[in-house]
Amino acid sequence: MTRPGVAITGVGVVSAAVTGDSAALGAFLAAPAAPAGEALGAGALAALVDPGEARRLSRVCQFTIAAARLALRESGVDPAAGLGLVVGTELGDLASTHAFADGFLERGPGGLSALLFPNTVMNTMVATTAIAVGAREMALTLNAPTVAGELAVARAAAALASGRVPAMLAGGVDELDPVVERELARLGFGAERRGEGAAFVVLEPRAAADARGATVLGEVSAAAWRALPARPWGVGRTRRSPAIAAALEAAAARPGDVGWVYASGSCDSARDRWEEALLGAALGAETPVSTLGRLLGRHAGLGVLRVAAAAWTARSGLLPATDGTTRVERVRPGRGLVHGLARGGTHVALVVGAA
Amino acid sequence: MKRIVITGLGAASPYGAGVAAYWKGLAGGACAIRELTLIGTDGFRCRLAAAVPEPLAGSARRTRADRLAIGAAGEALADAGLGARDRAAAALVVGAVGGGMLEAEAWYWRHARDGTRPASLSAVRAMLPSAHAETLASRFRLGGPRHTVVTACSSGAVALAEAAELIADGVVEVAVAGGVDAITRICFMGFNALKLLDPAPCRPFDRERRGMSIGEGAGFMVLESEARARARGARVYATLAGHGMTTDAFHVTAPEPEGDGMVRAMSAALARAGAAPREVQYANAHGTGTPQNDRIEARALARVFGEGGLLVSSSKSMIGHTMAAAGSLEAIATVLALEHGLVPPTANLATPDPDVPFDCVPRAARAAGLTCAISNSFGFGGQNVTLLFRRGGAR
Amino acid sequence: MEPKEVLDELKAILVSRLKFDPRRAAETTEATPLPKGVDGSIGLDSLDFIELSIAIEERFGIAMDENQDLTEHFASFDTLSRFIAGKLRSA
Repeated sequence: MTRPGVAITGVGVVSAAVTGDSAALGAFLAAPAAPAGEALGAGALAALVDPGEARRLSRVCQFTIAAARLALRESGVDPAAGLGLVVGTELGDLASTHAFADGFLERGPGGLSALLFPNTVMNTMVATTAIAVGAREMALTLNAPTVAGELAVARAAAALASGRVPAMLAGGVDELDPVVERELARLGFGAERRGEGAAFVVLEPRAAADARGATVLGEVSAAAWRALPARPWGVGRTRRSPAIAAALEAAAARPGDVGWVYASGSCDSARDRWEEALLGAALGAETPVSTLGRLLGRHAGLGVLRVAAAAWTARSGLLPATDGTTRVERVRPGRGLVHGLARGGTHVALVVGAA
Repeated sequence: MKRIVITGLGAASPYGAGVAAYWKGLAGGACAIRELTLIGTDGFRCRLAAAVPEPLAGSARRTRADRLAIGAAGEALADAGLGARDRAAAALVVGAVGGGMLEAEAWYWRHARDGTRPASLSAVRAMLPSAHAETLASRFRLGGPRHTVVTACSSGAVALAEAAELIADGVVEVAVAGGVDAITRICFMGFNALKLLDPAPCRPFDRERRGMSIGEGAGFMVLESEARARARGARVYATLAGHGMTTDAFHVTAPEPEGDGMVRAMSAALARAGAAPREVQYANAHGTGTPQNDRIEARALARVFGEGGLLVSSSKSMIGHTMAAAGSLEAIATVLALEHGLVPPTANLATPDPDVPFDCVPRAARAAGLTCAISNSFGFGGQNVTLLFRRGGAR
Repeated sequence: MEPKEVLDELKAILVSRLKFDPRRAAETTEATPLPKGVDGSIGLDSLDFIELSIAIEERFGIAMDENQDLTEHFASFDTLSRFIAGKLRSA
């Protein structure tokens, strides 16, 4: 649904494995190692969010602001010239929601916190980030299981393609939540790897990026999101992916033009198998696939991190193997696909190429 | 640019099920804000809200919010007369905030902290705002792209704007979009904590206003390209001629004092519609009834349309602030005002605020030959949306 | 309760409810202004003031009337602790 020519000019990642801009991400991808634990420490944030500002920001809002700042800094985009914001999240600021409820449950109405309440609404990361970076155009929070990050990039690319906004910050963020983790494990979903962190890309029209002499890290040539038939939270049977078809068509690409894929596998075995079947049917079984989710854990930030990773692969011709080693495969540089598939059938496909 | 028309409306409101009951209540100036019994209110200074009366649509095993959404979206689809093929290709955009939080709270209040009883899988899955879209897509066999937007109190309006963009961009011909929220403990307690609730039913634009009243509901619309609507001979209520979405980037709860973000949203909607300010005869205001919102919104309206330049009223005076549903329920009110040539009133408005230089249609609906109207929605975090509608299929 | 004791309680609230760093809270004196934008202030905005008034209601068992303009009492720790001590005496 996107016309060609959306440039990626900035990358910001805040995660347990890597924190930094496109260079830091590239260094990590060249020798990818799983982090010791999925949780992200406070130390990485201190340099990006000052203590006075941090007083009023929840942990997940701090991730978001830090990653947005990294991406914006790398891009050199001036928010005053018009900047929109789209952030995908699966769980929002659930920690603040628990804390808000706990205040009441422990102490009654006097224990309610006016400061925490705004964080119980999922748009809190967008609201605080818009303030922190001065984004005054459209600002959306997209909530979706599994594919919220990819969806945010696709949505932002569509806004740029139709000329509505001069530049977009597109990101994803999630925080591990102990209550959700405990309940999912009890319900038999403990095998899936879940993680936390935030990632952003700065997107702008190719012509605008070139005109201001920006370094273009990669290009989102096309993006599409669609739905596949499946029961809510279920895994479907169809092997035909309308999102991949739409994205390839919009990018004027044939399946053979896709040299490699970043897929959304995360050790949710039924969903992972469905995605493999879709990718196999669309691109053939030979196309190399990297599933960083097995390494970094599924969270909305990962969807955006994979778009940034795809820009790196398009430039370098390297694709991190995700078989538990730190091996990197040589692949064909140039165009590849970022694919996300959620239980319930929402799926997103982005064609990403080199500058 | 493609024109986007409204061909189906659906509502679950504090007046009960259906658009007919909703319009009857609004047109009659009936205030649906009452003592709240859905959740405990002991110890809170405000104990009122506008709840949706039983019976609700859908199975009792579903969350309250899902049931509200099923009722409203089902009505909009039936109203539009969409066939299976159009449904299979239709996009779905849902604006939501609370998701299934009311039910998740019931569990959390009793069991989460001591861990004595596991949550049910359905409760965990139904908790998130995105759950409504999953439910609606499955139930009504909507097979096109779907997504869920959360922009606090403007979510329902953003969903409609998003649907319009999907159609304008040529991704789909038909979309179902709207907002939904059920009353939750967290929302009720939170606005109490912020001291933003009036202990009496809210009084938007009144000099004595003390805050808002919480409400709940769902409002959905079927939007389609004019070409598709014409081809299938659909009845057209109105044209969604323009929309604007902006962000204050000012404060997490307070609007920017000069209303700059609101002015930019209204101006963007006018520009996209190719409409001059004087063409707009009515604004269905965000009008929450808080001292700050109403004063700043009035200032922003005056900056765009001139003092007294159009009629202004707040549906929240009757149905309360229905949160993520507000933007879409109020968009439906705006469409119906155009359709019926009748401006719904601002209930409970006894003493107009001299800082609000507009005729706010106190207490009784006003007949007016409307051709063009806007609906404003503003959310926490300075998330501003304006939708501009024209009557029928008019350009 | 004396204004001095009230002041100590307010400093505790700064840390527990308004999430100030304990060192920053310890640096404040009676003369430290509260509202953001005033020279040398601790930088509280409208949302902080709501949180502060909820905390005061909870800690001291007094009611803060949101319809009354309390701006002058919320000017500094000194004015606020006197205001609270006065309310406690009259209660």
